[in-house]
Amino acid sequence: MIKLQNVEKIYRTSSIETLALNNINLNVKKGEFVSIMGPSGCGKSTLLNIIGLLDAPSKGIIELDGQKVETYHDKAIAPLRNKMLGFIFQSFHLINDLSVIDNVEIPLLYRSTTARQRRELAEEALEKVGLSNRMKHFPKQLSGGQKQRVAIARAIVGKPEIILADEPTGNLDSAMGNEIINILQSLNENGATIVMVTHDDAMAKRTHRLIRLFDGTQVL
Amino acid sequence: MIRHLFKLIWNKKQTHALLIIEIWASFLVLFGLATLIFYNVRNYIQPLGFEYENVWAMSLNNNQDTIAIQEKVETIFAHVKGFPEVQSVSRMSDSYPFSQSNNSRTVKYNNVATQIGVVVADENLSKTIDIPLIKGKWYRNADSIGKYIPVVINRKAEALLFENQSAVGKILSDYDGKATWIVSGVIDHYKDKAEFMENKPFLFELLKSKDIWNKTLVIHVKPGTDAIFEAKLVKGISSIAKGWSTDIVYLTDARQKQHDMTLIPVLIFLIVCSFLLINVALGLFGILNLSIARRRGEIGLRRAMGATEKMVTAQFLGEIWVLSTFSVILGLILAVQFPLLNVFDVAAGIYGIAIVTATLIIFVIVTLCAWYPSSQASRIHPAIALHED
Ligand SMILES: Nc1ncnc2c1ncn2[C@@H]1O[C@H](COP(=O)(O)OP(=O)(O)OP(=O)(O)O)[C@@H](O)[C@H]1O
Ligand SMILES: [Mg+2]
Repeated sequence: MIKLQNVEKIYRTSSIETLALNNINLNVKKGEFVSIMGPSGCGKSTLLNIIGLLDAPSKGIIELDGQKVETYHDKAIAPLRNKMLGFIFQSFHLINDLSVIDNVEIPLLYRSTTARQRRELAEEALEKVGLSNRMKHFPKQLSGGQKQRVAIARAIVGKPEIILADEPTGNLDSAMGNEIINILQSLNENGATIVMVTHDDAMAKRTHRLIRLFDGTQVL
Repeated sequence: MIRHLFKLIWNKKQTHALLIIEIWASFLVLFGLATLIFYNVRNYIQPLGFEYENVWAMSLNNNQDTIAIQEKVETIFAHVKGFPEVQSVSRMSDSYPFSQSNNSRTVKYNNVATQIGVVVADENLSKTIDIPLIKGKWYRNADSIGKYIPVVINRKAEALLFENQSAVGKILSDYDGKATWIVSGVIDHYKDKAEFMENKPFLFELLKSKDIWNKTLVIHVKPGTDAIFEAKLVKGISSIAKGWSTDIVYLTDARQKQHDMTLIPVLIFLIVCSFLLINVALGLFGILNLSIARRRGEIGLRRAMGATEKMVTAQFLGEIWVLSTFSVILGLILAVQFPLLNVFDVAAGIYGIAIVTATLIIFVIVTLCAWYPSSQASRIHPAIALHED
């Protein structure tokens, strides 16, 4: 499902060059739940961004669902992000001026759907994360765990094959974190391929496979 | 997407209140300015209705002299007319073309009453300043023996008083309903306060033979006649009427004065408004720049969810267009009161064009102000934008 070959990422600023990823080879099968661990600054987010097509690698090849990513041109890449990938971030990234259901609908705005279809799909997604009773709330009125569940609903509303989660429980206490992992696990059981960055061994243990990074290099 | 925009805007209404007021106020300023400009342009393109090149207006002043005024004026008239440099001369009231003075009266026909500008003039005026007649004829001095005072009115006055009928031969009454005037002819335009004046109803009344008050001579001289002749003219008059004074104005100068009186306030208003609008545009640009910059996280998120750069730019433009539409509608509610209540004596069509123009300019300004920051912001890298938040 996800295939990385000899991927390298170098960040260049005027004074320094950072080798954030060094010769990464990765193969995530369809339906797999993979976790990525490693010390701060080792390149976990960078790797996830590259898998999620939010960032282009400096070198190497990326294949998603058998499709090689040839160009990072805005017009070509946007539909891939929209249809194939769902993102979950540590800091939720909800739009505070939109209600829960409107936040969840966002990915559907960028493909051809009717307002009615959007509403139905969003309701369905919110149901899956157990937030049907919070649809008209605004992000400010929600707890951290609820916010992350909204973000998960948003990630899955377009029914992507791949879900990428960057420390989804990083801002949550362990009870709420557990809840999130439970949801991710059930999504995985229903067929989603998931790659998750985490700092928590207990969380990582609940996934199929662990990838360890150290200083931009894969050590496990 | 439109619905999404409305929700975004609605949920941020407090933040947007100031922006709406700013756009609303700019719309009204633009509306006022456009009305003023279109009003003057429309007046300007209407014909003046008479000739003013090589025409002088000479006011005669008898000062302390009270003896045989009428005879002296007649002698002066004949004296002026005798010069080979003079093509034609006419005697009229002191509201000569482009003068600063005005006269008007209420004139009635059947049930219609209207305020009409009035000039008293002899039979020579139409020839002296070349006012073409479109109906009937210009009155003769000899017509003054009749029961009613002969008058010539302009087409505007005819339309107001008679609608579709012809005015020629009709009797007009004064304010008290007393039958006073008889229409002998109709002219087209007579904009005696120069080109920027609105085409208003007008009436020329025959100067009575015993009249001693209306002593302005309008003199059409041959081209190239200069101040040397002017001095000769004045000298001749002072020898006919001792103690009298004269005051000669070239109509070209008087016309310029009238133009200045209209254009200078318009120009000042235009400059003030331009500065105001430049300020508003800069302010708007600043506000939008800031508010869009604050939404980098949102932009990153939308890009990550599959929005293209163009979609993000379109969203921000859409937001400002919705806000502007709302502001313009609020402005319209006020603007349409002007034609509805007829606040100023300006045609509804002028207000209409002014509204359309002001709306267009508002949209151009907000689009320019929003386009640069939004297209700039849409280009940021999603990974970086998300990382910053
Ligand atoms: N936009 C950037 N420009 C320059 N350097 C960057 C940029 N983003 C990341 N880096 C560098 O690349 C390296 C990897 O960063 P990354 O964010 O992937 O780490 P991480 O493993 O996710 O860390 P954490 O656990 O703290 O989130 C770091 O050394 C970081 O400083
Ligand atoms: Mg990270």
